[in-house]
Amino acid sequence: MSNQKKRNFQIEAFKHRVVVDPKYADKTWKVLEHAIREIYNHNASGLSFEELYRNAYNMVLHKYGEKLYSGLVTTMTSHLKEISKSIEAAQGGMFLEEMNKKWTDHNKALQMIRDILMYMDRTYIPSTQKTPVHELGLNLWRDIIIHSSKIQTRLLNTLLELVHRERTGEVINRGLMRNIIKMLMELGPSVYQEDFENPFLEVSAEFYKGESQKFIECCDCGDYLKKAERRLNEELERVTHYLDAKSEGKITNVVEKEMIANHMLRLVHMENSGLVNMLLDDKYEDLGRMYNLFRRVANGLSTIREVMTSHIRETGKQLVTDPERLKDPVEFVQRLLDEKDKYDSIIKLSFNNDKTFQNGLNSSFEYFINLNTRSPEFISLFVDDKLRKGLKGVSEEDVEVILDKVMMLFRYLQEKDVFEKYYKQHLAKRLLSGKTVSDDAERSLIVKLKTECGYQFTSKLEGMFTDMKTSQDTMQGFYASHPELGDGPTLTVQVLTTGSWPTQPSVTCNLPAEMSALCEKFRSFYLGTHTGRRLSWQTNMGTADIKATFGKGQKHELNVSTYQMCVLMLFNNADRLNYKEIEQAIEIPALDLKRCLQSMACVKGKNVLRKEPMSKDICEDDTFFVNDKFTSKLYKVKIGTVVAQKESEPEKQETRQRVEEDRKPQIEAAIVRIMKSRRTLDHNNVISEVTKQLQSRFLANPTEIKKRIESLIEREFLERDSTDRKLYRYLA
Amino acid sequence: MSPERQSWTIDPDLDGIDLDASDFASSLPLKKVPNGDVFEASRAGDVGRLRYLLESGVNVNARDQWDSVALYYACLAGHLEAARMLLESGAICTEHTFDGDRCHYAALNLKVRKLLKAFEARPPPLSPLQAAMRDTFLGCGANRAYLEQAENTQFEISGLPSDDGSNTNYFPPDVVFFVQGRAIEAHRVILSARSPFFRRKFVTVWKERREIRFAREKLSYPALYSLIQFFYSDRLEVAVDDMEDLVRICKVCQCESLQRILEKEVIHQKYAEYKALRDIDSSIKRFILQGVSLPEEDRLPATLHEILQISLANSTTELNLDNSVKELTSSVGTMQISDFVEDLADVCVRVDKKSFRCHQVVLASRSEYFKARLSHMKDFHEGKSDIPVHTLPCLEEHDLSSEAFEKMIEYMYTDGLKDIDPDQAGEVFDAASRYLLFPLKRAVADVLLPHLENVSLEELCHWLILSDLYGVLKIREFCLDTIACNFETFADTREFRAMLLTLPPPSGDSSLRTTLPSAPGAEVNTDQRNLLDDLREKWLEAEAAELDKRDESALLFDKRLEMLVVVAELEKSDGDFANDINRS
Repeated sequence: MSNQKKRNFQIEAFKHRVVVDPKYADKTWKVLEHAIREIYNHNASGLSFEELYRNAYNMVLHKYGEKLYSGLVTTMTSHLKEISKSIEAAQGGMFLEEMNKKWTDHNKALQMIRDILMYMDRTYIPSTQKTPVHELGLNLWRDIIIHSSKIQTRLLNTLLELVHRERTGEVINRGLMRNIIKMLMELGPSVYQEDFENPFLEVSAEFYKGESQKFIECCDCGDYLKKAERRLNEELERVTHYLDAKSEGKITNVVEKEMIANHMLRLVHMENSGLVNMLLDDKYEDLGRMYNLFRRVANGLSTIREVMTSHIRETGKQLVTDPERLKDPVEFVQRLLDEKDKYDSIIKLSFNNDKTFQNGLNSSFEYFINLNTRSPEFISLFVDDKLRKGLKGVSEEDVEVILDKVMMLFRYLQEKDVFEKYYKQHLAKRLLSGKTVSDDAERSLIVKLKTECGYQFTSKLEGMFTDMKTSQDTMQGFYASHPELGDGPTLTVQVLTTGSWPTQPSVTCNLPAEMSALCEKFRSFYLGTHTGRRLSWQTNMGTADIKATFGKGQKHELNVSTYQMCVLMLFNNADRLNYKEIEQAIEIPALDLKRCLQSMACVKGKNVLRKEPMSKDICEDDTFFVNDKFTSKLYKVKIGTVVAQKESEPEKQETRQRVEEDRKPQIEAAIVRIMKSRRTLDHNNVISEVTKQLQSRFLANPTEIKKRIESLIEREFLERDSTDRKLYRYLA
Repeated sequence: MSPERQSWTIDPDLDGIDLDASDFASSLPLKKVPNGDVFEASRAGDVGRLRYLLESGVNVNARDQWDSVALYYACLAGHLEAARMLLESGAICTEHTFDGDRCHYAALNLKVRKLLKAFEARPPPLSPLQAAMRDTFLGCGANRAYLEQAENTQFEISGLPSDDGSNTNYFPPDVVFFVQGRAIEAHRVILSARSPFFRRKFVTVWKERREIRFAREKLSYPALYSLIQFFYSDRLEVAVDDMEDLVRICKVCQCESLQRILEKEVIHQKYAEYKALRDIDSSIKRFILQGVSLPEEDRLPATLHEILQISLANSTTELNLDNSVKELTSSVGTMQISDFVEDLADVCVRVDKKSFRCHQVVLASRSEYFKARLSHMKDFHEGKSDIPVHTLPCLEEHDLSSEAFEKMIEYMYTDGLKDIDPDQAGEVFDAASRYLLFPLKRAVADVLLPHLENVSLEELCHWLILSDLYGVLKIREFCLDTIACNFETFADTREFRAMLLTLPPPSGDSSLRTTLPSAPGAEVNTDQRNLLDDLREKWLEAEAAELDKRDESALLFDKRLEMLVVVAELEKSDGDFANDINRS
């Protein structure tokens, strides 16, 4: 028992050593206070960490935590006040240096103080919900130094001044800047924001407002954009060098707003250097810069896009409506393609292949190409030209490229059926005259059309190719079964399926006797193998090769049309013939005959006939005779018919009419299809659905649709609803 | 020796595991398996037997002859309570491990699955020593960077210390390995403790080197990383693909017990891989090994204990009894670092005339005080002594007996406390508070508690004061309970009355009265309430007063205390005035 008592006493003594001394707390605090001062004065090497820690520990253990804490606050406060004075006293440029130095010192001291007082930090502070030592040190620094009346504004002004100087090209001490800004950030995000970031943004806005105003007065658009871009990069660089990464978005927003957004329209429409001029001059770099800068601001890209599309529409409209241009269809289409290429490369190189820009380009082309009703015809003519001669010696890939481009234009067409009509005519001519350069190219284009518009669109075109093929076989069969025909004139017949080809009602034409006999033979051969068919001759589409001997014995082979052949053959039996005689002999339409005679008598170099009186035009009382003086360097002479490649006005009307006629059943079919599935539908919906269904072929005219509906009602496919007159009902 | 396993409960709010208590109760009467092993007990759901087995220290992650772990059986049979017990004891159920996935697939129902998920998010915690060493390891930049990268690309490493102050755990490494161009930062003493290979190297060829570059292509960075992390944390986490490399490394490093386990495991995993549908599941399979799977002498505490013993043997007691600090330091200064290289000590702590050779990394990892102190060596007086370069840096600690310090470093190195002389306990409490080693207090309390069962009333009063001062809640509770139950006995002793004088008076705030005392076991609870308030609560409880009379009773108790204080004051003044008067 006594042993135990002794033990107790020992334990008590160990503890009471501290508690007994009433001045213990004050004494210990004096030691610590002294130590804190020494630490601030860089005299820590004279202190014992262990002793200080032990003292602080004992104070907290014996419930003097409050005293220790409040003592710390007081000491630190008074010390920071001294620091504050010395910073205030710093002159001019030394101000920041001094602050940075003191801040580094303070941080180091703070760390040491925190470690000495670690026991308090771990136990007393959490239980009393006080601020931990490190945070306390930062808070005091903030309140006493940064927010002191003499420092706060001075610091801000100094920082802003430095930024301004850097903006105007001076070199500043970025390391120092970074340290000071970092200090503000360490003091808490709100300190950074309120004491630097917000004023900084305001000043920046002011600065860029002034600068942009200055630039816009004196620079052209390209230069201005270059300057704006440089400023933007400068600010980004500034953020990485000495600002908080979170400021990046804010400061760039300021620059974007002041330098770009506020001057957007003015920049785009700037005279002589705005967007339109850049587009005209293919300034890819400037355009790319504009794109990248405008992309940053709201509505920036849409502004560019709108100006670009309206410019394309404008120039396109001029292009397609310029009467000069309409004279040469090939040139016309080539111009369109060039225009398209130009903008394609602008979008690709400068506008980042932006989808919305591509869409804008497409819609503009669609808009202006359809302004000219002759566009389908011209495109077809362009293809015709390319396939007749343009593609000679061009590699397969290049052919594909050209065809693809044409298809692109084709896609813009609203009246695709008109294009089909013309294409069919042109194709027929190419096939029959054997003028097509490459069968592969022809087929490739048809495949493209097929993928674009479907089987229906190209079935007839394909039929034409099949006819050509079978005709070859038929001719072989014909000559094989008539071996006796070897010596006479050679007949090549192309059997064309009605409907697939653009045929005209067959016209009479009295062929020379030897020819008509041959034709009769072929007719009986063909009908012998294909019963139930009807064969009629399309003499207006044929050609003939004839051998002719002229006055001085010069021999030529003349390549002529069937009509021309008929005329020339007449001269085998006569020296002179007048117009009337010729007309009576071969009985072809007067217009065709005139053309045919004109091509043989009036074209220089091809004038195998001569006429009296000499004139450019054919008159009903002209007389014709063989031109014995005809010469040509070539043995083979091709005598073309004077045919306008472009359609003449009445022909155009006729084509137009045929197209309109063709559309009628299509519209009706569409209406019936729709009504069959819907049973009842009101007028407006019918119109819109029909338009939608037919869009891939042509743009249906609402009045025409209405007419078709009326007609269907008459034929009792549909009826009007008895109460609502706008509602249609499907019958049958 | 084995550290007390931290008990931790599932907090439903924290885990988002919405299992009610009723879910854990079985609907069917369970079979008892009084003689079964851990597998049988898990399969039967015999919670009592299982608890007994777990407390006796069986390896919870061991596999039986059918290659199955106990948790697998518990999941398969749907014994929720048994499964939870296993998980709380550290059973591994992590995704992408063979056992973990198997348990998931086998789970009888959704409740079991939920339980597994909840524990997967929070693996069994490491003991304080292992956790502290692991934090130190991950505090090194290169190590942390690899872990974060692995986390992003492969799988989530569970239980990562949160990244709130990343440098608080930083203690500089004293050796850096470069493997396949990447760095692993480490500390010599830890590697030496765990591997004879490293120990040999560090006292010979690598003695002066801070950077060691391995040029061999075959050495795999992830495998070596896993091993070194295991050295620190006693928890091995390795991708199955790296395991064969790891076995090779173990062989070189002479980590024999680990090598044996891994070799067995490699075969096992190969078999598992054969069965798994590898094409379907492309995730990287992992293998996790807890330290408890190793024989005790190969775990971190035992190996550090060994190191500590060598260091202690080399530590010297200063014979010179002169108290002059200057002379002490200079005599300490003569201790050459080369004298005792084999213990790899890199710091010398001088306490009460005895010099302890210690290891900075252990001190710094366990105690923030030492970490701060070691990092401030240059700033303060201690670093200024003119010790030659080749001697150990020396720290001096006052107000502490060398015996108490020895106890403390024993705890720091091993997480355990063999036995403690009650006389020392107070001092160790002081050391534990002072060096911010709060778990040590509990460890001491656990050792001390049986002793308190039979101490005198007077001594109990002192323990109460002491435990209140240092916040040792377990002791404090015990003392309060004892006093409350025998209040009248205590009221009769003079020591108790004298103690009342030193205590702040009860708050008298009635709103506090009904609050329950704070739960025991909370680590740092300095937010203690008034001692007498707590005593009153205890007393009310012990007297089992009717609830509606509590306030009255409390007032009575307060009056009684006031009276006792008056008596004590009288006694005190009497004692002061007339020490010699006999008061019988």
